[in-house]
Amino acid sequence: MDCDEITAELLSFISNAENDDDAFEVLAHKVFQYQFENNGPFAKFARSRGRTPRTVKSWADIPAVPINAFKTMDLTCCNPDQAAAIFMTSGTTQGGVRGKNYHSTLRVYDASMKMNFQRRIMNGQKQMEMGILFPTPDAMPNSSLAHYLNLAVTEFGTRESGHFIEDEAIDFKRLIDTLRDAEGFGQPYALLGASFSLVHVLDELHKLGAAFKLPEGSLVMDTGGYKGQSRELNPDDFYNALAQTFGVPRSRCVNMYGMTELSTQFYDDGNEQCPSIKSGPSWIRTRVTDPLTGSSVPKGEVGILAHTDLANFNSAVTILTEDSGIETDEGFILLGRASGSEAQGCSMAVDEFLKVAGAA
Amino acid sequence: MPEHAGYLPGLERENAKWTQKSYGTEGTPLEVLLPSLETEQLVSMAQHIRQQATQHLKTIPVEQIVEAIDRTIARLLDRQDFHRRRMDALLPTVTGYDAEMVQLGLSGYLKTFRKPQLRRFLAEDFANPAILDSFQPLAKGGFGRAFSPGVLGHIWAGNVPGLPLWSLVAGLLVKSGNLGKVSTSEPLFAGWFAEALAEVEPALAECIGIVWWRGGETELETALTAESDIILGYGSNEALAAIQARVPTGKRFLAYGHKVSFAIVSTAALDTDKATATARLAAYDVARYDQQGCYSPQMICVERGGRVSPQRFAQFLSHELAAIEKKFPRRKLTITEANALASWRHDEEMKFGGEIFGDETGSWTVSFHMAESNLMPSSLNRAIRVVGVERLADVPAMIAPFKSLLQTVGIAAAPEHLFQLADALGNVGVTRICALGDMTTPEAGWHHDGRFNLSDLVTITEIDHRAEFAADRLAPYAE
Repeated sequence: MDCDEITAELLSFISNAENDDDAFEVLAHKVFQYQFENNGPFAKFARSRGRTPRTVKSWADIPAVPINAFKTMDLTCCNPDQAAAIFMTSGTTQGGVRGKNYHSTLRVYDASMKMNFQRRIMNGQKQMEMGILFPTPDAMPNSSLAHYLNLAVTEFGTRESGHFIEDEAIDFKRLIDTLRDAEGFGQPYALLGASFSLVHVLDELHKLGAAFKLPEGSLVMDTGGYKGQSRELNPDDFYNALAQTFGVPRSRCVNMYGMTELSTQFYDDGNEQCPSIKSGPSWIRTRVTDPLTGSSVPKGEVGILAHTDLANFNSAVTILTEDSGIETDEGFILLGRASGSEAQGCSMAVDEFLKVAGAA
Repeated sequence: MPEHAGYLPGLERENAKWTQKSYGTEGTPLEVLLPSLETEQLVSMAQHIRQQATQHLKTIPVEQIVEAIDRTIARLLDRQDFHRRRMDALLPTVTGYDAEMVQLGLSGYLKTFRKPQLRRFLAEDFANPAILDSFQPLAKGGFGRAFSPGVLGHIWAGNVPGLPLWSLVAGLLVKSGNLGKVSTSEPLFAGWFAEALAEVEPALAECIGIVWWRGGETELETALTAESDIILGYGSNEALAAIQARVPTGKRFLAYGHKVSFAIVSTAALDTDKATATARLAAYDVARYDQQGCYSPQMICVERGGRVSPQRFAQFLSHELAAIEKKFPRRKLTITEANALASWRHDEEMKFGGEIFGDETGSWTVSFHMAESNLMPSSLNRAIRVVGVERLADVPAMIAPFKSLLQTVGIAAAPEHLFQLADALGNVGVTRICALGDMTTPEAGWHHDGRFNLSDLVTITEIDHRAEFAADRLAPYAE
């Protein structure tokens, strides 16, 4: 199977509203086989786990590639020089080494994003006015989030929509004017951006004593957490502040959970209650695993999330995150990062060692 | 019934606030009440301890303190004693370590605080321990006496059972009052020791306060540093830097940071008949307290050219670790620890090219590397890198970049190599060299991180030898 063939199958799967377990199973196996045949480092990794297209019987058997491997291995089925896009992680850990997700084409990524966004965010509407609190793809060409948000605006945003971050600064004045206009205009408005940028906006608006009552149907979507770029708020405080400041009920404050290492996003159905439950479309599945054995933990227990994303066909169909979570009937609860383990005793842990040794 | 942590001289239990915390597993749950003092309560406790130490500790000969500690330790060594039974029963629950491992470890550890060992401890730092009691003649002439801090502040960290005993005993031996903050991960041992001491010598126990607060409660920590004359801190570099920032200039802060230790195996220990025993000793050092101690090995350098190759040795070690897992199972890891171990395993294999030996559930892991590599800590919890080296003399250069982080090296080598290596290792910052198998049990009186445990705590007041002659001239009987 070549790149065009697998792309065509995936596009058809994504456009199909009803995909059952069997259809997922069949295509997952095909994507795994495609990666096994076209990506040497991936095949080596899979063999080291004793997994080949012959031994993998179910999508859950596909070996999960730790996200760290995106930093050290060239996980791509196409020639890396010919990739249509390379999305990179921010490189805040491990001495600035950035993880790379190669995309031979963005057709599948874009189809996945649009189909899912339409269903979960647009809620039947064709277009909405949107404000983006994140840089443009021109400013951040390797950011999957910049691409994602730009896609949202170009596909689903009205002509008045736009970005509010330029030269790494939020244009507060223009943002406030726009939100005031939206209030008066009476049509639903969508404010989307990085969680930490929203905190900066909340802080600034609080300082100015400004608050809004956005029209019914408006929503706020945050993503990515604070990443040390703003103060940290607990989820309830954060969503209360969003609701109060923008006049949007917490049930319309949606969190998107995405990763550079994936090609599909998860959403919750608002944050009236925290922690919310995240779920994704029919071409992505999540297992809550014991990271040492790779097997699923019993439902209700905490484990590490492993996502099988068929749209991630060029790099790694199943990835092992560093996020802990709990499986529920409707999806999973995201608990947060499970990394940076500190030693329990007086022995030095790897993270601390790297920090100290790096500074020495 | 919940167990109370801490020891609060001069403060009634009902006048303190308590924070309840759950430990253990579903099968063996344990509720612990942690004392949560107001700042004023902590300050008046420090003053109480200072006054009690002046009255009861500074006035008695050091030998009497040794006797009191010895009698307390004798109780704790008695497996039928109430305090010891409580330790054996609850410390495994609190820390998650295997019960038998804790019990054996505790006995071995407590033995290093009996009278002969305590006297050795004193002799290690003071040529004449009587210098703690009265002015003693000094070698250079004149007289000297060691004076101790009124209150020694301790900030402990980690879950290695019994760790606070080191600095507590050091404080008592130099006749200092002690106010210590226990860690949340093992909050019980220090208070129990004070309770046992109170039954042997109530007045001495009044000189010990054991408290707790949640990490990051800066007001209480600031109060402790303000009320203490010297502060001893344990923990990560980050935690120590935060304490340091609160210590007023000029006040002594003795910081014991996290450390890295490793082992060296020479061809002499790799004969077919010796290799199994060598691997067993190494496995024991790895398994004890799941590598959480600063003295626990994180890497083993194995010399090539012996009867048993480094790779074979890695297999021997795997075999021994598997056997220990059956006898003393590793504690259940948190999801964060399990994740760290999984990602260490992955990196060792995919990034650094190691050959991984390990059981399916990850209860132990050996990562073998054919060629020399830099010192690299493991993810702990019974995970170790074994590295083949051409010549043992190459090892010091491998670790030299990490000078400030090093502590113990366990060595299996012939005498000639032992001393040759010791010179080179000391030169690059290693502070303790011991036999393989002894890494986790430092001997009595060892110099923790190369420092003087007791003499670092005192100041010497000297009588200049000329003062004697000058005084002579003023004597009523002067001619």
